[in-house]
Amino acid sequence: MNSRSPQKVVSDFLDDFAGRDIDGALGNTAEDINVNVYGLGRHDTGRGIIRTVLADIVEAFPDLIVTVKRIITAGNVVTTVINVQGTQAAPYAGAINQEKHVDLDEVWRFVVAEDRITQIDAYWCQQQLYRRLGVKRFDQIAIV
Amino acid sequence: MSSASVIVSSRTAAQNAAVVTEFFDRYRAHDVDGMVDLCTINADFSYPPFEVWGKQRVLRGDGKVGTVGKPIWTGLINAFPNLSNVVHSVDANDEGDVVVQVDIGGTQQQPWGLVLPAGKTFSEPHIFIFRLNSDGLIESVTGYWNNAGISQQLGHMEVD
Repeated sequence: MNSRSPQKVVSDFLDDFAGRDIDGALGNTAEDINVNVYGLGRHDTGRGIIRTVLADIVEAFPDLIVTVKRIITAGNVVTTVINVQGTQAAPYAGAINQEKHVDLDEVWRFVVAEDRITQIDAYWCQQQLYRRLGVKRFDQIAIV
Repeated sequence: MSSASVIVSSRTAAQNAAVVTEFFDRYRAHDVDGMVDLCTINADFSYPPFEVWGKQRVLRGDGKVGTVGKPIWTGLINAFPNLSNVVHSVDANDEGDVVVQVDIGGTQQQPWGLVLPAGKTFSEPHIFIFRLNSDGLIESVTGYWNNAGISQQLGHMEVD
């Protein structure tokens, strides 16, 4: 059985995400994947959480463009700097749709074991995201 | 194999990780000059979440360690006199890349950007990406975090 390198596993995941193929992306993850998405305050275990995170992005930004700017591999840990662009077409993270364009740099750190991603730590600045979506206050996200 | 690649590979991942661990030790000790001493004289600096939006311009955290990074680190320590950090993971390779997951936090005593001091404390997960040269000096520092988390912990509800 051919095993993919950790970098290849992560590249396949990101290619599927960029192609809005959520099921394909999840196929690269372990069933008991540990997920931390700091900007959203989401911390959970299992494919359900990463499915929700990816699906919410794809639904809110249907013209999504994911560009991998840098990949760093250290053993079974793969860290990627990605740029995410898209035009809002549905509510996202409490922000109503104002059809604003988002262009955000993010870092996603992956741990890979036995051909599957076992942990994802995703870092982005939610303040930058809200600023680009036209949100004015953290305690009144849906009010513009 | 070229002589250049031999030089680059002469430093191990463990040695590269040790330099960055020392960087955060010095940060924890508020030794900003010591942090800068671990960097090349022209080291690149990038804090993408650092944006201060004024009426006519946006101040961004991009430039050089000596001219942008050092003032930011010094300003943070002034605003948060008990600023500290807890390193959770250090992942390094033989090519000079080091990735660090670290919580940074402190209690605000002075203004920081547009956030006025209310004596509140924050602690926020960060990820740093370092690039070291063949001499073991840091030639680039990049940091990412969720600024919304910090603002809300400090009681600042404006997105700005």
